[in-house]
Amino acid sequence: MPRLRAVTTSFRHQALVFFADPQWLIPNIIAPFVLTMVALLLYRDVTGPIVLYAILGGGMMGMWGNTLYASGFSIQSERWWGTMESVFAVPSSLIWIIAGRTLWNALIGLLNGFVVLVFATVMFHQPVQVQDMGLFVLAFSLTLLSLSCLGLVFSSAFVLTRSASVLTNGLEFPIYVGTGTMFPIALLPFWTHPLSLSLGPTWGIDAIRYAALGSSQGSFAQGYWGDLAIMAVLSVVYLAAAVLLFVQVDKVARRDASLGRF
Amino acid sequence: MNALGRMADTVIDVQDLFRVYRSSSGLLRKKKKETVAVDHISFSVERGELFGLLGPNGAGKTTTIKMLTTLLLPTSGRATVLGFDSAKQPMEVRKRIGLVLGGERGLYYRVSGRQNLRYFADLYGVPVHIRDKRIKEVLELVGLTDKADEKVEDYSRGMKQKLHIAKGIVHDPELIFMDEPTIGLDPQAARDTRHMVMDMKKRGKTVLLTTHYMYEADELCDRLGVIAKGKIVALDTPKGLKDLVRDSSVIEVEGFGITDVELARLRALQGVKAVSASMSEEKQLLRVQVSDPGEMVAKVTDAVHGCTIIGVKVKEPTLEDAYLWLVEGNA
Amino acid sequence: MEYSNNPLRVFVSSAVLARKALFAWLRPSMWLMQLFTMSLFQIAFFAYVAMNVQNPQAGVTYVVIGNALQSISYVAIFAVCNITGEEKQQGTLQGILVSPGNRFSIFVGRAMFQIANGLATVTIAFVYAAFVFGVDFSHADFLALGTVILVTTFAMTGFGLMLSSLGLYLRTSMIIANIFLFIGLLVCGVNFPISFLPSWLQPVSYAIPMTYATDAARMAVSGSGIFAIGGLLIAESVVGVAVMLVGYGMFKYFERVSRSKGTMDRY
Repeated sequence: MPRLRAVTTSFRHQALVFFADPQWLIPNIIAPFVLTMVALLLYRDVTGPIVLYAILGGGMMGMWGNTLYASGFSIQSERWWGTMESVFAVPSSLIWIIAGRTLWNALIGLLNGFVVLVFATVMFHQPVQVQDMGLFVLAFSLTLLSLSCLGLVFSSAFVLTRSASVLTNGLEFPIYVGTGTMFPIALLPFWTHPLSLSLGPTWGIDAIRYAALGSSQGSFAQGYWGDLAIMAVLSVVYLAAAVLLFVQVDKVARRDASLGRF
Repeated sequence: MNALGRMADTVIDVQDLFRVYRSSSGLLRKKKKETVAVDHISFSVERGELFGLLGPNGAGKTTTIKMLTTLLLPTSGRATVLGFDSAKQPMEVRKRIGLVLGGERGLYYRVSGRQNLRYFADLYGVPVHIRDKRIKEVLELVGLTDKADEKVEDYSRGMKQKLHIAKGIVHDPELIFMDEPTIGLDPQAARDTRHMVMDMKKRGKTVLLTTHYMYEADELCDRLGVIAKGKIVALDTPKGLKDLVRDSSVIEVEGFGITDVELARLRALQGVKAVSASMSEEKQLLRVQVSDPGEMVAKVTDAVHGCTIIGVKVKEPTLEDAYLWLVEGNA
Repeated sequence: MEYSNNPLRVFVSSAVLARKALFAWLRPSMWLMQLFTMSLFQIAFFAYVAMNVQNPQAGVTYVVIGNALQSISYVAIFAVCNITGEEKQQGTLQGILVSPGNRFSIFVGRAMFQIANGLATVTIAFVYAAFVFGVDFSHADFLALGTVILVTTFAMTGFGLMLSSLGLYLRTSMIIANIFLFIGLLVCGVNFPISFLPSWLQPVSYAIPMTYATDAARMAVSGSGIFAIGGLLIAESVVGVAVMLVGYGMFKYFERVSRSKGTMDRY
């Protein structure tokens, strides 16, 4: 199966490139870590589940931050290294190549999120008491896949533009805000709710909280399984959108001759 | 086999290929600029040929090769590679061709050469059970076996070029495109590269390469297309091209103090077909192409009167002279 | 040919080149998008967290003003730091360092455009503070606030120049920039008073110009005049200049070291 092969070999390749120079992970750990610390310091007079809420949010930010950043960065690197054209010239579709890389990045994002969780737990003496570990892990993993699909959609934009870094920086905070990583989205202006709810991870985060905390403030009426179902549907939509976008990207890149430029 | 199921002898067929680049500059007052890179060219390449596209920098060689290898869409016209339209059926073309773009960039330098080959072997769908063997073969072919497991960032320029070639043939394509394969290489590495190219031809591959080195084109190619300013100004064997200037001779003038003034004077002389000059601070060497050396020697030496002349010789024209004559638009 | 060492000329042409180079790869539309949206979402994030927590010492207004001012850090640190990073990537660093142009003028000239960029970013952030996040500016002393913004822009750009000096030697100016960008959120009194921090961390706060600025900005918004905040501004300026001198010293040192070790174009 050539597509699957493109995905697995790109996953492997991305891992190799990562291990050759892992220092680039540091910015990704720093950002969500600091953001979590800030939130926790703000929350410091508060006790109880709200702290776990914040810690989980930090883990989530770690996952998204890395998925986004690493995808943008990997495509930008291809430009710098001049390998974009070689990659385009192969008989595998670009989308599966990028998908393989995005999966690796998401996996590292998971690790990233986990590091943040551990640090925060240790520093704030807050044991992460999860109500249902099995459901928790499931929710976390599925949210990871959903983030990957979202990242894949954005990757198509990164291929076309030379300003990938602007996009990665620009998309980081809106997702943190819109998906309600650190606060219930009910606080946001009502007209933004449709946007938030169209983001798969919003549902995923809610499911994670259900699994960890049981019901909490602002949790959705759909409940755990409802959340996961909706997130799955949205992820499929993202994937379909990504496929279409990448077809366009192929055409536009070949028409505008932008592949070889920095 | 092409799309119609017939054995195609013509592996590349270019019909009226045309490519324009549009760019805009300036922040507020957007100035749109249109550059014609490839101006309605047509040519074809037969199976087993070593075909060269020869031309100066900016002539349109790289643009042409990119269109043939599906990296660029033509503005109009058609490029058919192994029976498939490179614009409309890019995947079919990509499966069957190898591309060697060369240069300092274009490789993953933080991993080893072998890892680079492994990645592209996978992307090109080299069957898994023969992949590692094939990689070994290819490394031996280009002479990188010893360095295969070192990081590409530690490779010399010549080694990187070898890796580029290895990458381009790892999936054993029947048709190989090479863009300026020896540019920037030292003489030894360049020679090794040319041997590899000839070796490909011996194995029955078809090769299209671009170059601006005349001796390389002369040595390697069965046929040449001379391209200048986006147009093909000649299409022939190297011998055929030399025959174009067969009736010319070259008056070679070596001296000091020759300036553009003298060059202009020479070019304006009747009977002079073309003038090429290598001008350095210390010494200048002019090659003046004329039809009748007997008549022209006196006129030529007159034109450089006042400069210090070391020597004047009459020589046979080479491919370089043919090329210069063509490229300077005197065809 | 006569060689005229005119630092001003080098300065100006570096600034112009920086602007042109920036827009060569960054389309103006992208830049504008970044200008208008980045601070908005960053402020929003912390504002909503503050709203959720309702900590009396760090309310929404506190947080919004802090982040509005902090928006300058992205430009000052990150963009300036990238100047050497980009040079390295493009391989032009060697070309510049081989030239006889006054080093200081070259790099400061390039930062000039970023300073203008920074001022625009902060102004827009404060506009958001007033109209989107409901911060009350009715008693604000705009002269004082404007002065804070101006001083902070220069001081933080100086900080960024210092960080970019590290880029000459290390391969990681991007990482340094990222670290300091986010550390700022934690230690500069942006989201909560420094007193919240553990005591061993607090001295770091005082080494960064932004720390003084956040307090000064809040005072200005609630009506303190320029004399009331003068002390803070002077302290900030001193730190800014000190940091810039350290940066310049590092720059010269690293130039020497990378010439002897040959690390200039490794990336």
